[in-house]
Amino acid sequence: MTETNPPMLAVAGLRKAFGGLAAVSDATFDVPRGRITGLIGPNGAGKTTTFDLISGRHRPDGGRVRFADADLTGLASHLVARAGLVRTFQIPRAFPRLTVWENLLFAGADQPGESFWHGVIGTRAARARERALADEAGDVLSFLDLEHVADLPAGGLSGGQRKLLELGRALMCRPRMLLLDEPFAGVAPALIRHLVEHLVELRDQGITLLIIEHDLGTLVPLVDRLVVMHLGSVLASGEPARVRDDPRVLEAYLGGIGGRG
Amino acid sequence: MDVLFQTLVYGFATGGVIAVAAVGLTLSFGVTGFINFGYGELLTVAAYTTYVLTEAGLGLLPAAAAGTAITSAVAVGVARTCYQPLASRGPLPLLITSIGVAFVLQNLVRIGFGGEPRGFPAPTWTPWQLGGVFIPKLQTVIFLVAGVCMLGVHLLLRHTLLGRTMRAAASNEDLARLSGLDTRRIVLVTWVASSLIAGLGGVLLGASQGDITPSVGFEFLLLVFAAALLGGIGQPYGAMLGALLIGLGVEFGAAYVSANYNYALAFGVIVLVLLARPGGLFGRGGGNAVPSEGGTP
Amino acid sequence: MIGWLAFAAFFLTNVGIYGILALGLNAQYGLAGLANFGYVALFAAGAFTAALVLVPPSPAASPETATAVAGGLGLPFPVALAGAAAVGGLFALVMGAVSLRLGGHSLAIVTFAFAQIFGAFLAGEDWLTGGQFGISPVPQPLRGLVGSAVDYLFLYLGVTLVIVAGCFWLAERAAGSPFGRVLRGIREDETAARSLGKNTGSFKLSAFVLGGVLAGLAGAMWVGSIGSVHVGQFVPIVTFNVWLAVLLGGIGNNRGVLLGAFLLICIREGTRFLEGIPFLAAASAGNPSLLPSLRYVIIGLALILVVRFAPRGVIPERLRGRGQAAPPEQIPATEERR
Repeated sequence: MTETNPPMLAVAGLRKAFGGLAAVSDATFDVPRGRITGLIGPNGAGKTTTFDLISGRHRPDGGRVRFADADLTGLASHLVARAGLVRTFQIPRAFPRLTVWENLLFAGADQPGESFWHGVIGTRAARARERALADEAGDVLSFLDLEHVADLPAGGLSGGQRKLLELGRALMCRPRMLLLDEPFAGVAPALIRHLVEHLVELRDQGITLLIIEHDLGTLVPLVDRLVVMHLGSVLASGEPARVRDDPRVLEAYLGGIGGRG
Repeated sequence: MDVLFQTLVYGFATGGVIAVAAVGLTLSFGVTGFINFGYGELLTVAAYTTYVLTEAGLGLLPAAAAGTAITSAVAVGVARTCYQPLASRGPLPLLITSIGVAFVLQNLVRIGFGGEPRGFPAPTWTPWQLGGVFIPKLQTVIFLVAGVCMLGVHLLLRHTLLGRTMRAAASNEDLARLSGLDTRRIVLVTWVASSLIAGLGGVLLGASQGDITPSVGFEFLLLVFAAALLGGIGQPYGAMLGALLIGLGVEFGAAYVSANYNYALAFGVIVLVLLARPGGLFGRGGGNAVPSEGGTP
Repeated sequence: MIGWLAFAAFFLTNVGIYGILALGLNAQYGLAGLANFGYVALFAAGAFTAALVLVPPSPAASPETATAVAGGLGLPFPVALAGAAAVGGLFALVMGAVSLRLGGHSLAIVTFAFAQIFGAFLAGEDWLTGGQFGISPVPQPLRGLVGSAVDYLFLYLGVTLVIVAGCFWLAERAAGSPFGRVLRGIREDETAARSLGKNTGSFKLSAFVLGGVLAGLAGAMWVGSIGSVHVGQFVPIVTFNVWLAVLLGGIGNNRGVLLGAFLLICIREGTRFLEGIPFLAAASAGNPSLLPSLRYVIIGLALILVVRFAPRGVIPERLRGRGQAAPPEQIPATEERR
């Protein structure tokens, strides 16, 4: 599994401190194109903050984020998403008082009807795009088995369904790469198997995935590559088998895992 | 020279009154998480009860003490009946409710006493004279009382267990609850403390303005907000400094520029400050809370 | 009989004007979740603009008009409407550009302060606004079309209803369009909306401007209906009257907020009948501010009670599903704590 292509995402020397406390001190790693990469590490390792820095939620204090051929460092999060790099959140952030259907349509890109006059008048372009988005949303619903809850408010969904909706919404953005923050946490085991199949299918469609996950039993068999973070910096990265046997990784996990019980 | 010095004293006095009110407001914000638009009316209630009690024959000091206590009782009653049931619904319902409370209290006072100004029973002291410079005695005393109040708040926050738990609850209510603090009790105690401070603020406001109307507190609230915003919402020490700046700014503006656009000027400055530093002049710079990481049990 | 009909016409005109205001605030708060506590400033901006457009260039010198206004433009009513809408929108643009970046509590406080400062401006700049006395009389629009004053009330009601219908159409189309969908998403969770590629700042500003345009229009209609304008009409309680209409009728539902405006005017006008209660009539003889104050107490109580016991209002926001609308009772009652 040698990577001849340039990486989809290259993160170099990323750092961020909050109130003098370094959350990420040196995040450097590559994510190969068209593959699934796992980002793991004990609690407080800085994984979610790394996502926040890549996705533009927070501006990094230093370092670089390169995505495909563009420099995304410090870009506003909506521009990062429009570049094709879309994230999900660890605690799903569905719009609770919008229906599942509207949650999906919301995320659709390039809808001219989102400008006031196009929307109010209902121009031909807006209506055509709306029909196309409805088709896409229909596909996403059936792909994620959410058709029966399409008309329900997202606030009424179960935790697992919210995770699926979060993924579905990200898919509506037509991403080239997804950053998934703990997609399996709180999801029923039967649904997890289903979800894993979906993720593999997405990879086969050519979408690059970077996944934060604590459930290593599910994650490790799924990924092509692992990145391990500890105390704000990258400890090791590479093929899962090699990384897993790295003594430093073992030590970090044994040191940190006690707190997780 | 004379005008400069007097303006300085008036500025410190006004700043002191704003500081007292702003610290009270900011204490309650820290723990309850919403900006209380009904806070100005607590000042009004204190000023009017003090006025009524002196009319009934009480001396100013006992009347002020009783007025402050009554204000606190009103505030705790309002908090119990109106604010606490909404505690879990986020800040906006509380914000709206506090507006409703403001209108109810202000207009109950207006029903009771009419809209005309009433003379607040402040002592009529002759100014001190120091080598040809007049020092307004009342304003000096107001500033000193405000200073003592600030010192009391400082001691409470820094050197008592109660103050430390209040600060802990303010910085993170969920965390405070997890670590076994009785947040309900802390919220109650905070209401008492913040409303007692409001009571004192109302008395000082009445004394510094001379005349009181039912909307005296509501109109003053803008300056209090300004101080709290300038200092960083929820930051008592920032509010104190912000208040002094606003007080001096208002009095110097009135003395040297024009009284018409005092408030406008004060707020213009604040908006500029906020655009540059959303967390306030003395608050946490970026205004973003520290994000939580991991945390899945 | 004519008296009652005239009262009804005046009453409904008021409902219409507050209805437009409620639609505008609903665009800002109901749709986009922006808590504008200085909404009255946009209303006032529209009203003064319309007055200055309508008043003839050299105001007729009469003893009653002690105003020092430099004079208006003396242009017809449609120009006043357009001008008021434009100035309302422009004011909202400025207000929003300054305050929307702050968000949350700061937004509420800064908008509130903005309105207070604008009030000070209106009171202070006599040359433009007539200061405390305001601008009076403002020529009544289309007055020449009918003879009697009562007929004019009906005519003006008709005009108002046409404008309300137009505003309702605009608000409803906006809410149901992809534009409105983005705003509702931002209201629910701005971070998520941004992460899905939406430039939330510009959307929020658009919603703010839409609200400002509607408030400006309402201001023009108000001036036409009253025939005068002065700063004392635009005190903070007006902002919260509109808030009450929106909360009462149903946040996020345009039909609801129109109903809310009707209920609000019922409360306001209904309290006039308090004079009929002998005890209150006797008490108010000695205290002229009793009845107006009592009205504010009732409005304050209504705000408290609606927020507490009917947070979604009489007609809750509609769910927009796949094709058909789902019954509203499935909307989760609890708001997400932010």
